[in-house]
Amino acid sequence: MSDAPRGTGWGEGWRATVRGAAAVFRKDLRIELRTRDVTTTTARFGVLVVVIASLSFYLDPLLARKIAPGVLWAAIAFGGLLAMGRGWARERELGAFRGLLLAPVPRSALFLGKAAAHLLFLLAVEVVLVPLVALFFHVDLTEVFVPLAVLLVLGSTGFVLAGTLFGALTVRTGARDLALSVVVFPLITPALLGGVAATRQVLVNGADLADLAGWVQILVAFDLVFLAAGAMLFDVLLSD
Amino acid sequence: MPVRAFDEVKGEGLVKLYGRTRALGGVDVTLRAGEVAGIAGPHGSGKSTLLSLLSLEARPTRGALRFGAFDGHRDRRRLRRHIGVLSHQAMLYPDLSAAENLAFFAGLLGVSADRVAVLRERFEVGTYGERAVRTYSRGQLQRVALARALLGAPSLLLLDEPSTGLDTRGIDRLEEAVRAERERGAIVALVTHDARFADALADARVSLRRGKREAA
Repeated sequence: MSDAPRGTGWGEGWRATVRGAAAVFRKDLRIELRTRDVTTTTARFGVLVVVIASLSFYLDPLLARKIAPGVLWAAIAFGGLLAMGRGWARERELGAFRGLLLAPVPRSALFLGKAAAHLLFLLAVEVVLVPLVALFFHVDLTEVFVPLAVLLVLGSTGFVLAGTLFGALTVRTGARDLALSVVVFPLITPALLGGVAATRQVLVNGADLADLAGWVQILVAFDLVFLAAGAMLFDVLLSD
Repeated sequence: MPVRAFDEVKGEGLVKLYGRTRALGGVDVTLRAGEVAGIAGPHGSGKSTLLSLLSLEARPTRGALRFGAFDGHRDRRRLRRHIGVLSHQAMLYPDLSAAENLAFFAGLLGVSADRVAVLRERFEVGTYGERAVRTYSRGQLQRVALARALLGAPSLLLLDEPSTGLDTRGIDRLEEAVRAERERGAIVALVTHDARFADALADARVSLRRGKREAA
């Protein structure tokens, strides 16, 4: 029994979680760098949303800046859902996800690794979308860059954590992407509303981070709730 | 190569319910080191459910499952390191090469690159091993899947219809690999509809019907 299962203290469990999450993240990144599947599809979709919205709603520079937050977050929300759907679809092919579930790593590591990869892909798409929205909707990015970046990172994090948590269900159900959108959109409403409202304050009123403290706190709380929920519930959600 | 973590797997009164459906209705089973147990039965008899309990993917609704001195529920994460599963699904990432897939799963298991190299050589995962798995033939895919299942030199090897879609040469290779695992002292459980394949390998039989064990 010399190679029998070793004891797992809190410290070892934590290290195993970090190691497992890093391995899953690197694996997803490697696949994405090779296929460009998630980012390309999502970016194309997001660009289409922004262009169509600019043609439909544009009236004058002031109105454009008022509309811009809604357009940006709608593109992020729908595109993000698409990204996570595709990110999980990868796990379905050839039953790869079953291989992950059979591995001796904490299920929370799988959640954290997938969420980190999804977040990176979504932020990469936002790097394309934000300048495009700025161009079409008369936003001077140099004036709003820092608060906008903070809001996008915080809002996207909560969105991705919720989407990754429930996206795992799509690997195991026949409903797939439909199930993801039905479950995730109601859950992410606080993050989306917070993101839109706070972004509007930044773009229209020129609010800085100090002015946004309340919204930032809401978004941070949302992120922490879904981070903890994901780490604790992922195993339960994947149980038979 | 790791020493065996347990010499026996013992399930007592295993019941598995999915909602109101009873997939297993109180099955006792003992699997021993160095033996291949053929799990037989018609469709819906509970073979795959039993395998999912043994692989610790699912938890029995009632009953106890012990792996040597270890409890199948309490020690499940640590026990997973010692269980290998090969099914008709390859459980590989199609956009990664065999080398990348094996390195990834080896990392999750905490297995060295040397072990990956040994298995690549053993299963002749040659130059094609650098191409994306998506491009492989069924036989190539199953060889890589077998290498993945054996990465941790498992004490328990579970085979679920492993010969599906393989040609004669592929089946011969698979038989050879299973015999080698038995010689090594692994516990092997085999579910297959291929009677010739089962007859060639099984030392013991577990026959199931409607979720219950049939008398031998």
